[in-house]
Amino acid sequence: MGNSEMARANRHLDTTRKMKEMLPRFFMRMMERRFNNEPLAWCMVGVPPELLKAFDLLFEWPENFSTICASRLIAPHFIEVAETDGYSTELCSYVTNTMGYCKLFVEKGEAPPESPLPGGMGTPSMLLGSGFICEPRWKWFQSIATRFFNVPVYSSDPLAPPWDVDPRDPRIENHYLCLLREDLAGQIKFLERETGKKLDRHHLREILILSHQALAYWRDTLSLRKNVPTPMGSTDYFHAIIPQMYLVGEQEAVDFYREMYEEVKERSAMKKGIVEDEKYRFIWFGLPPWFNMGVFNYLESFGAVFVYESTYNVGDYFEVDVSDPLEAIVRRTWQRAVWMHDYGAEAMPEICNPAVFGGFVGSSLLEELVRDFKIDGAIMNLTRSCRAISFGEVHTKNRLAKLGIPSLIFESDMADPRLWSDAQIKTRLHAFLETVEKAKQGGR
Amino acid sequence: MEDSDNHLFKENPTIAENNRRIRRLKKESGKPVIGYLCCFAPPEMISAAGALPFRLTGIPGGDNSEADAYIEPYGCAYARNILARAVRGDYDFLDGLVISHSCDMVQRLYGIWNYYHPLPYSYLFNVPHQLTPWAQRFYKRELIFFKDSLEKFTGQEITETALRKEIDSYNHNRTLIRDLYALRRVNPPLIKGSEMLNLLLAGGVMPAEDFSFLLETTLAEIRRRHNEQTTGPRILGWGSIMDDPALYRLIEKAGGSVVADDTCIGMRLWEKNIPLPGDLYNGFLEQYFIDFQCPRTDRGPGIKRFDYLLERIDQYDIDGVVGYIISFCDPHKFDYPDLRDLLKKEGIPMLLIDDNYSFEPAEALMTRLEAFIEML
Repeated sequence: MGNSEMARANRHLDTTRKMKEMLPRFFMRMMERRFNNEPLAWCMVGVPPELLKAFDLLFEWPENFSTICASRLIAPHFIEVAETDGYSTELCSYVTNTMGYCKLFVEKGEAPPESPLPGGMGTPSMLLGSGFICEPRWKWFQSIATRFFNVPVYSSDPLAPPWDVDPRDPRIENHYLCLLREDLAGQIKFLERETGKKLDRHHLREILILSHQALAYWRDTLSLRKNVPTPMGSTDYFHAIIPQMYLVGEQEAVDFYREMYEEVKERSAMKKGIVEDEKYRFIWFGLPPWFNMGVFNYLESFGAVFVYESTYNVGDYFEVDVSDPLEAIVRRTWQRAVWMHDYGAEAMPEICNPAVFGGFVGSSLLEELVRDFKIDGAIMNLTRSCRAISFGEVHTKNRLAKLGIPSLIFESDMADPRLWSDAQIKTRLHAFLETVEKAKQGGR
Repeated sequence: MEDSDNHLFKENPTIAENNRRIRRLKKESGKPVIGYLCCFAPPEMISAAGALPFRLTGIPGGDNSEADAYIEPYGCAYARNILARAVRGDYDFLDGLVISHSCDMVQRLYGIWNYYHPLPYSYLFNVPHQLTPWAQRFYKRELIFFKDSLEKFTGQEITETALRKEIDSYNHNRTLIRDLYALRRVNPPLIKGSEMLNLLLAGGVMPAEDFSFLLETTLAEIRRRHNEQTTGPRILGWGSIMDDPALYRLIEKAGGSVVADDTCIGMRLWEKNIPLPGDLYNGFLEQYFIDFQCPRTDRGPGIKRFDYLLERIDQYDIDGVVGYIISFCDPHKFDYPDLRDLLKKEGIPMLLIDDNYSFEPAEALMTRLEAFIEML
């Protein structure tokens, strides 16, 4: 594999292109505060970003940092450092990327110069983990705190009900709500202790209101992708999730997602697609290959567009009463769990997420998606180093086949380009497009 | 060390034998058979509900192709093998399935298994990943739900008396197993690691009373053994599930003695008894959650989480550790660098074997083991 095979994404929306100015402004703000030695939390997706805002806490998302390292093709360097330290190639490449980064950071006493962001991720004063989605997330921060940064760790533990229990049974509901409430209380106690600040519930409520406004625009934007031709594709989608991590709870995020919604709505009204001739409408399953997001543009060049993605998907949006903001976070989490449960959580029950992202393999959701988004096929990235997200792809393929929808599973990774086999994958993509074409001609 | 007449010591209790035994028991007793994976849901409860608990094991190196139609090729080969066997009908005697949420793979295996091959009874025993007070409360509530679901399925109330009786039987076995482990502390050990593992595997597929008999007769036999031979370096086996003695046999063939372990079918389950009399649910909490040293449970950062292992190394006078990790076993793969560094600091050599649940190629493994044991 040569780096020349990797292509960066071209985006179609003016709004997402504007992020080039918006995000650096945010990072500069954070950097200035880092120089003032303010406490810095490294966080995992699953930690409610609204809480971080409420504590006015500086934060980094190692997972997102890893996607940036991947997109700049720096990740293999960090991953190899971790591998020489004994971390297996099978472990999550977000993790190994970060572990390599940490090792170099500690050796040099500062961010390694090859870091993609100026100053990289700063020295953490605490680690805020979340066990949502997968177990490597438990072990990851445990390892960082053991080997590199001996700082306090709080990992939240948002369990979700198995697929075959009734989450509406009051006993079951109470069982999980108790855990969620107590876990959130533990998280807040930890943050109060580490920041020396008391949680201002009124402030948190205001943040939640802004956060939910932004998310409602995001949900409505994604719904517009049902239109033919689709007004928005995956390159914009995967880029537009970033403000949800860094800016949610701020007016700037509301403005961003409103602007995006208006742009996508206008494109829908004008029937302005992302390709000249939209031939195939696909669902994307799994994490994207961050090192080669141009693959989406490559498929677009054959008239193939993605109108839905299974990962980082906020799913349905829940109207929750924010008068008690902590209960609102708990209820939001629980409602999402119940929503996913209703759609079939046999392959991925762990979607209980107190933040805003999720994944899904809700098998009966597939029927709705195929119908509402006019799906012709599905492409799935079987990520070797992230089994948690790719688990269920074979099951989803089986379910789609019953609906007469062809699908392709190809093997690669999200951050490690060494697992990308360009010729092989493109050959398979071409063959798949032919299959879809035949299926369409055959009227399924 | 003398050879034994006990067939368990000479060969693996074959899968076919286990299946024949459980079918016969099922027929004779009229009780349903409930298969289980992992150790967070107490098997005592299954027994007290009037069912036969049956610990599901795989066949290392077995054919997993039947699993490909349902789950991805990247994943724990042990779990894939279990599913392949279920699809093939190898577990056709099962009436129920209990899977604990120990790791991601088996948690999700639960849904897929039940979706495609549902059994009359199934339960996912959900387990928090931390030991916080609220996680412990969750575990205890989960015990109640588990009890309720078993009662509903078998129609038999799990009375406190029945539960105490089962715990008492299991405690008796725990005591006997500790007695057997004590015979491994002497040098040379009176019982081989492969023999011990065979015993424990046999115990997973038979009622507690039958296991007691097996343990008692074995103990009596072992105590008659004479330590005439010298033995090689004393090895502790650490890592992923070990449901076949193949690796221990290779170690023994290479000149080492496996005298202690830290795997899930090993000392972990038998280290202490559940206090009787006492709060039974607190007893389960401590036995199967707090004190059960699976790396999937977050015990906080730092190397103190390995203190129990250092104690064991000291107790059993260990010369070296052989780590065994099944491919894609994240919890162990994460712990390996920390443990390797700690053992190095303590002067305990460690060899890591990364395996796709096949113990193959045996020649290559043997070469590595011989080199390691020679070094010790």
